[in-house]
Amino acid sequence: MKKKLLCGILSVGMVMTLLVGCSSKKDDTGSKEKEYKIGITQFAEHGSLDNCREGFLKGLKEEGIEEGKNLKVEYKNSAADMSLSGQIADDLVNSKVDLICAIATPSAQTAYNAAMKTDIPVVYTAVTDPVAAALAKDDGTSVGNVTGTSDKLPIKEQLEMMHEILPKAKNIGIMYTTSEANSVSAIKEYKKYAKEMDLNIVEAGIAQTSDISLACDGLLTKVDCLTNLTDNTVVSSLPTILDKANKKNIPVFGSEIEQVKIGCLAAEGLEYTDLGIQTGKMAAKILKGEAKASEMKFETITKPGFYGNTEVAKNLGITLPENLTKNAVDMFDKIEASK
Amino acid sequence: MSFAISILEQGLIYGILALGVYITYKILDFPDLTVDGSFPLGAAITAMLITKGVSPYLTIPISFAIGVVAGICTGVIHVKLKVRDLLSGIIMMTALWTINLYIAGTANVPLFAQKTIFSLASENTLFAKMGTYITVVISLVVVVICKILLDLYLKTKSGFLLRAVGDNDVLVTSLAKDQGNIKILGLALSNGLVALAGCIFCQEERVFEISMGTGTIVIGLASVIIGTSLFKKASFMKATTAVIIGSIIYKLCVAVAIRNFSPQAMKLITAVLFLIVLIISGRKKTKANGMKA
Repeated sequence: MKKKLLCGILSVGMVMTLLVGCSSKKDDTGSKEKEYKIGITQFAEHGSLDNCREGFLKGLKEEGIEEGKNLKVEYKNSAADMSLSGQIADDLVNSKVDLICAIATPSAQTAYNAAMKTDIPVVYTAVTDPVAAALAKDDGTSVGNVTGTSDKLPIKEQLEMMHEILPKAKNIGIMYTTSEANSVSAIKEYKKYAKEMDLNIVEAGIAQTSDISLACDGLLTKVDCLTNLTDNTVVSSLPTILDKANKKNIPVFGSEIEQVKIGCLAAEGLEYTDLGIQTGKMAAKILKGEAKASEMKFETITKPGFYGNTEVAKNLGITLPENLTKNAVDMFDKIEASK
Repeated sequence: MSFAISILEQGLIYGILALGVYITYKILDFPDLTVDGSFPLGAAITAMLITKGVSPYLTIPISFAIGVVAGICTGVIHVKLKVRDLLSGIIMMTALWTINLYIAGTANVPLFAQKTIFSLASENTLFAKMGTYITVVISLVVVVICKILLDLYLKTKSGFLLRAVGDNDVLVTSLAKDQGNIKILGLALSNGLVALAGCIFCQEERVFEISMGTGTIVIGLASVIIGTSLFKKASFMKATTAVIIGSIIYKLCVAVAIRNFSPQAMKLITAVLFLIVLIISGRKKTKANGMKA
């Protein structure tokens, strides 16, 4: 009998936590005026995406919406699991948040799908191609109550920068995950610009983290330098790639600040915190009722910045050209341990 | 209330998957890893067909059929080419990754602008009144139809043979039946159901994502084990019903973990809840046995 009771209590307890969880939060939004409640759904645990999230909250704060004061944040992470991402999106919609911030493409899509039947706006960030993801129309206008920022790479600028540092390099290696739509479209664009500049892109597609070591060894025999996309799987294994490339004295270029910090030579890229801040400001406008998500075009960071790492340059025996370093957004003189 | 609805939605859709995994894991005693590939296979073919303008209703039988083909491949690799069960599943799962990419064209296919079975149903006056319950109702209809058809099948001669292969394969051989062919049939049916689950899930989430299959086998096995061990003594309930309820309980565990704990702790909490459910059901069993003695 005791066991049966225990079983009963537990199942009731589980259901109760669900219901209590939502009812107590309802009271909070009702009792105070101008108290905002937002939900953040992030697709994976990942340095750049974390920066996005921190930037997003910073952007809101700059507009006077601060966590702890007049803002409640429910942060969820789906650990790169699609079915979980869907359930999280449902959960946020059910807890009746005022706005959902979705970080990375799959999260943005599940959040938009879950919020479609409600009037909860979705603001996404770190979505490389909102048009391909069906979150925006071809002209950049929104398809529904959804808007945000894109982390599209400044590919042309990156190639020009690489050419300036290594004028003799002809074969540029890129590793990417075949399952990441963002990476596939970036590769296409790389090839287009490379052709114009008479450079050659050597690509290596992988399916999962365990393929990286082999793919990297193969690629390094064929190229003069490597460059990175914002490919989640590849970036997560960047230390392995850097280690292999350094042994062969092959420079590796990054695509954003975090990568340069941990040992890429240089990047013409974007700062995810800045992208987050920009997104946070858009969200603030929507929360305050100054704008509607459905009427806002998605935004990109217009001007990329140069990042360089002088310790890496010294190790490789390369000097970074002065006209690049003098305009750099940030220069690092040592290699940091990766997050 | 809305929490319960979304748990039911997810639980019922994954219930179709649980039915498929039940055939291989419980009936055939075959740990089939193909499902990690056949679940997104169903989704990929669905996304491709819907973007091409094919009727969403048609995608259901088509994805079932293509899942059957995947299951037959695993079966042939195992039975005819004599590859070990676990390995033949892994081989198909790996191959399906690329096949899925080819079918869908890209790694991510959104279906926001297209019609799905759910959006078509909401245009129907009969269903339109149900409002927010519409997804649950349709998922329920699909899963119940799958369950009844499976129950009926298991009562046919072929169904009995299928059950015999897992329990007592000597018997099957003594009846002058080829147990290899029956295994292939079981795998085909199972993966057909799994692909069907992928089809419905893809239409519910309105997106195909290549990585959506990762961990499917874990969800499937968890649902089957929770369901069958929790209702082991409930003789009035068919095992097929039990695994569907198991799937809903699994999704409830996940929802509780999402709702109440930090993102980092979530997977651990899900694991602990899962363990608690198993311990409770295990104790119930020993107690019941003790009473009989």
